[in-house]
Amino acid sequence: MDFYIVVGIGIAANSIAVLGTFMLTGMNGLFSLGQAAFMGLGAYISAILVVNVGLPFAVAILISMLICSALAFLVGLASLRIRQDFFALVTFGFGQAVIAFFQEYVSVTGGALGFSNIPNLTTPTLAFVSLAVGIFLVWGFRRSHFLRDSLAIRSNELAAKVAGINVFKHKMIVFIIAAALTAYAGSLMAFHTRYVEPKMYGWITTVTWIIIVFFGGRDSLTGTMVGSILLLMAPELLRFTTAYRIILYCAIILIIINVRPKGLFGTWELSIKPLLRLFKRKKQEVS
Amino acid sequence: MDLIEIFQQVINGLSRGAIYALIAVGFAIIVNVLKFSNFAHGGVLGISAYAGYLASSQFNLSFIPVVLIGMVTGAIVAVLVEFIAFRWIRMQKGQLVYFFVTSVTMLMLLEQILVIRFGSFFDTYPYDLIKVKFINIGELSISVTYLISLAVTIVAFGLLIYVFKKTKIGIAIRAASNDMTTTSLMGINTGMVIIAAFVVSGMMGGISGVLFGISTSLSPQIGQVVVKGFIASVLGGLGSLTGVAVAAVALGLIEVFLVSTIGSGYSPVVIFALMIAFLLLRPQGFAGVSFTDKA
Amino acid sequence: MGNELLRVENLTKRFGGLCAVDCFCGTLEANQIKGIIGPNGAGKTTILNMISGVYPPTTGQIFYKDQDITKFQPHKINHLGIARTFQNIRLFQNMTVLETVKTAYSWRAPYSAIETLFSSPRVQKFEREIEEKSMHFIDMVNLKDCAKSNAQSLPYGLQRRVEIARALASEPTVLLLDEPGAGLNQTEVRDLVELIRRLFIDLSLSILLIDHRMDVIMQLCEWIYVQDFGECISQGTPEQIQNDPIVIKAYLGEEINNA
Repeated sequence: MDFYIVVGIGIAANSIAVLGTFMLTGMNGLFSLGQAAFMGLGAYISAILVVNVGLPFAVAILISMLICSALAFLVGLASLRIRQDFFALVTFGFGQAVIAFFQEYVSVTGGALGFSNIPNLTTPTLAFVSLAVGIFLVWGFRRSHFLRDSLAIRSNELAAKVAGINVFKHKMIVFIIAAALTAYAGSLMAFHTRYVEPKMYGWITTVTWIIIVFFGGRDSLTGTMVGSILLLMAPELLRFTTAYRIILYCAIILIIINVRPKGLFGTWELSIKPLLRLFKRKKQEVS
Repeated sequence: MDLIEIFQQVINGLSRGAIYALIAVGFAIIVNVLKFSNFAHGGVLGISAYAGYLASSQFNLSFIPVVLIGMVTGAIVAVLVEFIAFRWIRMQKGQLVYFFVTSVTMLMLLEQILVIRFGSFFDTYPYDLIKVKFINIGELSISVTYLISLAVTIVAFGLLIYVFKKTKIGIAIRAASNDMTTTSLMGINTGMVIIAAFVVSGMMGGISGVLFGISTSLSPQIGQVVVKGFIASVLGGLGSLTGVAVAAVALGLIEVFLVSTIGSGYSPVVIFALMIAFLLLRPQGFAGVSFTDKA
Repeated sequence: MGNELLRVENLTKRFGGLCAVDCFCGTLEANQIKGIIGPNGAGKTTILNMISGVYPPTTGQIFYKDQDITKFQPHKINHLGIARTFQNIRLFQNMTVLETVKTAYSWRAPYSAIETLFSSPRVQKFEREIEEKSMHFIDMVNLKDCAKSNAQSLPYGLQRRVEIARALASEPTVLLLDEPGAGLNQTEVRDLVELIRRLFIDLSLSILLIDHRMDVIMQLCEWIYVQDFGECISQGTPEQIQNDPIVIKAYLGEEINNA
């Protein structure tokens, strides 16, 4: 396959995970440090179901998303009622526990050596359509009262409660959707790279997604997606040795966040209305 | 496990816990003053660990100068981090979350600097940095490295308590931890206080980096041990350094105990379970400072 | 006592060793404005916090329409029909006045999160409905011109009105106002008193008002509780309160210079 398409599939799949982090951390200010574990769970569960159990790809993905949603529910139950930093801590612990599980349950997961021989089922079409659908879903979510509730909770939780918002339920919904999205991204990645290993899903991966969200702009879906594509593409295009590459990458992020604390795009959103208007005007000119 | 073995594990656990306590307190000082989780502390710790390593392997310095070099490096790097990653955002009165984002970015950046200089291999401090390896008391054989880390930690904590209780700058840091606005209204230069806090936190980070490097091994990812500080600082309770230190020692003991019973593999699972149990039982943390949003 | 809406019995709150409120008892009937007055630190806001569910009382009970709501969460209490404002204004960052007021309608949304993901037409229909309703309340507090401006960039006095509009948008039966006059100048206070009186009549609300300023309370309330150091030292009509020697000694005697 063309190198750029291979890179593109990876970016598309990871961007779906970034969408999850955008909802959770960007919109709601909830710092999950174990978000990558959901990607790992999605990847491992769907891969094992397809390779070892022989289930169809779609069914396997669905099951992995359901399991991740259920786990998110349980983790949320234990951590979303209490102080915000406890949520970060509990999700962090959850992430470490999941990785330990991948590493130790060798008979099923292959342990530290990883799980290989996954069929290549993630076609370019599937990856790009999935990302488009993912963006559409989050866009729809943001056009409802959930965006207002998110911003309200992020800026003043007590006032949000008193205004009648069930803060716990809201956070739970967001956490579950984010987990399901991330799990889906994990499945796509697993059937793209055809190999998974525990260390891909550590807290540093999670933190990378958080950085991407703030780089692009936590208040802009467009910004987050552009940031995601730029930052995920950068390592592939910058042809230095890895370490220099990451240093340059970090430097860019530091500069952007220092100079433009609201992120690359601030609150600006791409909207199709001006384009449509332009189109209409042209039509009128023609007629 | 017989009694001797348990005693041995307790010593190991305490020394591991002591290093965690140093890491956690260095981490918590910044949490208290600036109210965000400063993961760049891990980078500070990593650079200092390698500075100590260079001092001992290239220049054959002995233990105490090595620790001092680690401490000074830590302070310098911490202040540099403050300049690069936090100063601008602070000046623009940016939201706290941006500190978090730049701090993790700094952690990655410092890690990669180590990769460039030392490659991503494991290094160890020179074997003869600590001459005597074990002290034998009857059947008990106690690692000298562990005892020394324990001793250094106690000295470092003694100094820290002195700084916080007796010196002007220490009291100013404590005041700023409590209420930054009022502190600045009292005519204290909060910019200086923040730098001082980074110096103190960096010194703690430097010492802990060297000790952690000596008692385990060095790799550029060594800084990621900062998560132990994060865990302890959340569990310890808001604003209480003592609570944080206690939580860190408990974490060290539990880890060593788990490794010797169920092995290192599944211990994160058990720690996760314990963490949840603890948060459900004592949501106010070890120190018991409860926190209510004032309406 | 047929129309009793809110009844609190022996409400007590201790913070560590400090007793912020000691055995407060009181009622609020339909279409009634009652006030709680007292110097700073008398426990007035604490009473309001307990009624609105911000924190649970140490002992004592709160009844709303004969239902025990003592242990209810704040959002649940809001859903039942008790709305409140805050003394230190709590608005949301980067939100317009309209958006701020709309948040009060979120819990009434007839659709689930799944429907929003798939951009169900019901979402936009609901958005249009609540926009209209919210504008109605914004108009009611005379903020129509500022509906599209950032709520936190408004002058202090107007921010207070945004808070009141947000509370009204919950369409409450009982409105709890926490020091609505704090930080306002004389003219603003006069307007505020007018506004509260108008809302009281137009929306047939029941209002519990807290203030440490005599003028606001005396002009509006038909019944007043006097709090001092956590204890309710007196209650009665404004005339009774003004002539009560205990109140004059404990409260007016100290605070008269400030009023």
